[in-house]
Amino acid sequence: MSQVKGKVLKHAGQTRLMHWIHLICFVILGITGLGFYFKIITIDYIFGGIGNASVVHRWLGVVFTVGPLLYILTNFGRFSRFIDTISTFTKDDFKWLKTMGGYIPGLKGEVPPQDKYNAGQKLLGWLVIICCFLFFVTGFPMWLWRHAMPPQLLGLCYDIHFWDAVIAILAVAGHFFLAAIHPKSRVEFASMMTNGYVEAAVSAHHNEKWFATLQNDSELKA
Amino acid sequence: MNTFQEKTNLTRRQFLRGSGVLAATAILGGILAKFGFNVQARSQEYIAQRANGLYSLDERMTLRKSHENPEILQIYKEFLSPGGVTPLSEKAHHLLHTKYGDEIPELIAELKQHSHQAA
Amino acid sequence: MRAVEIIEITDNCKSCDHCSSICPTGAITGKLGQKHDINHQKCINCGQCLINCPFNAIQDLNQINKVKQALDDSQKYVVVQTAPAVRVALGEEFGLAPGTSVKGKMFAALRKLGFDQVYDTEFTADLTIMEEGTELIERILRQKGPLPQFTSCCPAWIKYAEDRYPKILPYISSAKSPQQMFGAVAKTYAAQKLNVKPADMYSVSVMPCTAKKYECDRPEMIASGYQDVDVVITTRELAQMIKTAGIDFLNLAEEEADRLIGSSTGAATIFGATGGVMEAALRTAYELLSGETLGKVDFHTVRGLKPVREATVNIPIKELGQTVPVNVGIVTGLKHVDSVIVDVLAGRSKYHFIEVMNCPGGCVNGGGQPIRHD
Ligand code: HEM
Repeated sequence: MSQVKGKVLKHAGQTRLMHWIHLICFVILGITGLGFYFKIITIDYIFGGIGNASVVHRWLGVVFTVGPLLYILTNFGRFSRFIDTISTFTKDDFKWLKTMGGYIPGLKGEVPPQDKYNAGQKLLGWLVIICCFLFFVTGFPMWLWRHAMPPQLLGLCYDIHFWDAVIAILAVAGHFFLAAIHPKSRVEFASMMTNGYVEAAVSAHHNEKWFATLQNDSELKA
Repeated sequence: MNTFQEKTNLTRRQFLRGSGVLAATAILGGILAKFGFNVQARSQEYIAQRANGLYSLDERMTLRKSHENPEILQIYKEFLSPGGVTPLSEKAHHLLHTKYGDEIPELIAELKQHSHQAA
Repeated sequence: MRAVEIIEITDNCKSCDHCSSICPTGAITGKLGQKHDINHQKCINCGQCLINCPFNAIQDLNQINKVKQALDDSQKYVVVQTAPAVRVALGEEFGLAPGTSVKGKMFAALRKLGFDQVYDTEFTADLTIMEEGTELIERILRQKGPLPQFTSCCPAWIKYAEDRYPKILPYISSAKSPQQMFGAVAKTYAAQKLNVKPADMYSVSVMPCTAKKYECDRPEMIASGYQDVDVVITTRELAQMIKTAGIDFLNLAEEEADRLIGSSTGAATIFGATGGVMEAALRTAYELLSGETLGKVDFHTVRGLKPVREATVNIPIKELGQTVPVNVGIVTGLKHVDSVIVDVLAGRSKYHFIEVMNCPGGCVNGGGQPIRHD
C-alpha cells in the first residue's frame, strides 16, 4: 500500500454538530433514564429533585429527536449517502464480520478492504436508527398520551423503552471503546469530535474502497 | 496541504435509499399507531362481555322480578312485617335503612340503644 | 368521611402518572416522574386506579387471613354472600373468557373452602328493590322526600356524595346496599332460623369491589347488634383462596346457593351491570304501580355503556287513574355525576330516579375484579 500524504475530510461540520448534540442528549437521557428505572434518588436530586429529572429527560428527548431530524432535512444528500453506504453489504463486508475486523485477538485472517464505514460500523448505524425510532415511538406516548392509553399499552411502552435503552447503551459503549480508546481506531475520535479530518494514510488503510472514490482538492483546483 | 473530499453529487441509488428509509419510518410509525388504536378500541371489551354474561343469566332465570322471589315474600311475612308483605315496616327501617353524613352519630346512638334494650 | 387506608400505592410505582387520570376524585398526588401517593381523605376506595395500573403497583387491603382464621375457628359459624358481578368474572382467573358464568362452580368452591352457609347477595338485591322501589313510589305518590331519588348501592358514590355534596344526601335512597342488608338479616333472621347465636356468626362477603371493604367497616353498620358484615374479600382474593386450597375449580360440579336467604331473581342478577338496578326497579315498580303484569321485562333503553343515559317509561298508575311518564337517568363513572348533581340542586333536573355507579360499566368492572391487561 502506498503511503498517501495529506488529510481527508471525513465528517462535515453539520454532521459533527449533530453528532455532538445527539451524544450529549444520549448520555444525559441514559443517566436520568436509568435513574428512573433503578430508582436512584440521587440522580433526581442532581437534576433538581421532585421529578425534575423527568422533565429534563423529556425535553432532552425532544432535542434528541428534533436534532437528527433537522439534520436529515437540511443535509438530505449526506443522509442519503450515509444510508446508501450502510445499506450496501458486499462480500468484503461479510468477510470483515468473519474476522471481526481484526479487533478480536483470537480471530485471525486477512481483513478485506472497507467502505467509508466498516461492516461493524454499518451494523451500528442501523442499530442506532432502530433504537432511536423505538425511543421515539415509546417515549412520546409515555409522556403525551399517558392518560389516554390503555394500561397494557403504556406498560408495553415502558418495557420496550427500557430494553431499548439497555441495548442502545451497550452498543454505544462498544462504539465508544472502539472509536475513542482502542489504539487501532481511536484516530476516529479526534475526527468526529474536533475538526472532521483524518490522516489520508489512515483512511487509505481503514477505508480503502471509500478512499478510492474521493476527490483531491488540488486536482479540483487544477 | 493536500486534502481529500467526498464527491457531493447524489446518485439515483443514494437518493432512493435515503428517501426510502424516511418513507419506511413514516409507514412503520403509522402501522404502530394503528396497532395502538386497535388495542385502545378493544381494551374495554371485557366490560361488555361481563355485562352480557349477567344479562344472559337473567334471561335463563324463571323468576325475573324481585317481588316474585318466594324467599323475599317469606322474610316479609315471617320477620320484617309479620303477616304481610309491607316494605318500609319498622323492622325493615331498623335493619335495612341507614343515614348519611352528619346524621350518622345520631343513628349509631339509636342503634346502640336498641341493642341494649334487646339484650 | 373517615379516611381508611384500603388502597395503597406501593414502591413498585413507576411514576407513569396513568392513575391520576383514572381517579374520579383527584385523590392521587404526584407528577410524571414522581412516586404517586393517595390522599385517603379524598379517596373513595373504588380501586379503579388499582385495576388500571400498568405495573400492578397498587394494592388493596388483603383480608384473606381474616377469612382463613374465621374458617379455622370451630366456634365460628361462617356464612358467605357473593355479589352478582363476581360470578361472570371469577372464571377469568382460571382462564375462562370474560362473561362466562361460573355461578354453580363458585358455590361449590365456597362449600369446599369450608363456609357453613353459602348464600347469595342477589337475595338482598331483590330485598333492596322492594325497599328502595317502595321508597321511590312513596316519594312520587306521597311526597315522602325529595325527588329525584338517587340509588344507594355503590359505597364509593356514597362517600363521594358525603365528602363533596352534603346537600344531595337527602335525595339518596335511605335503603342500605345489598351487602349491608345481607349482613343485617344474616345475623338476625337467618341466625334465628338456623339457631345460631349472632355473636358466633361470622359474615363474609365476596365482592367485585374494594369500596365494600370500607362500607362494611362503617361504624353505623351494626343494625344486628354486631358488625353486620365482618369482612369483605374481592373476586381476586377468592380466586387466590381457591388456588391455594388446591381446588380443581374448572372441574367442580355445579351447586346452588343455600336456601332461606339465598334464592334470587334475574332482576337481582343484573345489579352487577350499569343500568341494572334501574331496570330491576322498573320491573317491580311498573307492576306494583300499574297492577298489570309486564309482558316484556327487558328495558333495553337503560342498558349500554354510555356514561350518562336516560329513558322515559310511561307507567299507568292505578291509584291515580292516569299514565305518568317516569324519567330515569343512569350515570356510570363518577366523573360524569357532577353536572347531574348540580342540576338537581338547582331544581333543573327532570328525572325521578337516578342510578349512580362509580365504576365505568358498573360493578362488573369494579376495583375488586380480575385485572385484565390483554
Ligand atoms: C426520544 C426521546 C425520548 C423520550 C421522549 C423519552 C421519554 C421518556 C419518558 C416520558 C419516560 C418516563 C419518565 C419518567 O418515569 O419520569 C422515560 C423513561 C426512561 N427513558 Fe426515555 N425518552 C427518550 C429517550 C431515551 C433514551 C435515548 C434513553 C437511554 C439511553 C432513555 C432511557 C429511559 C429509561 C431507562 C427510562 C426508564 C424506563 C422504565 O422505568 O422502565 N430514554 N423516557
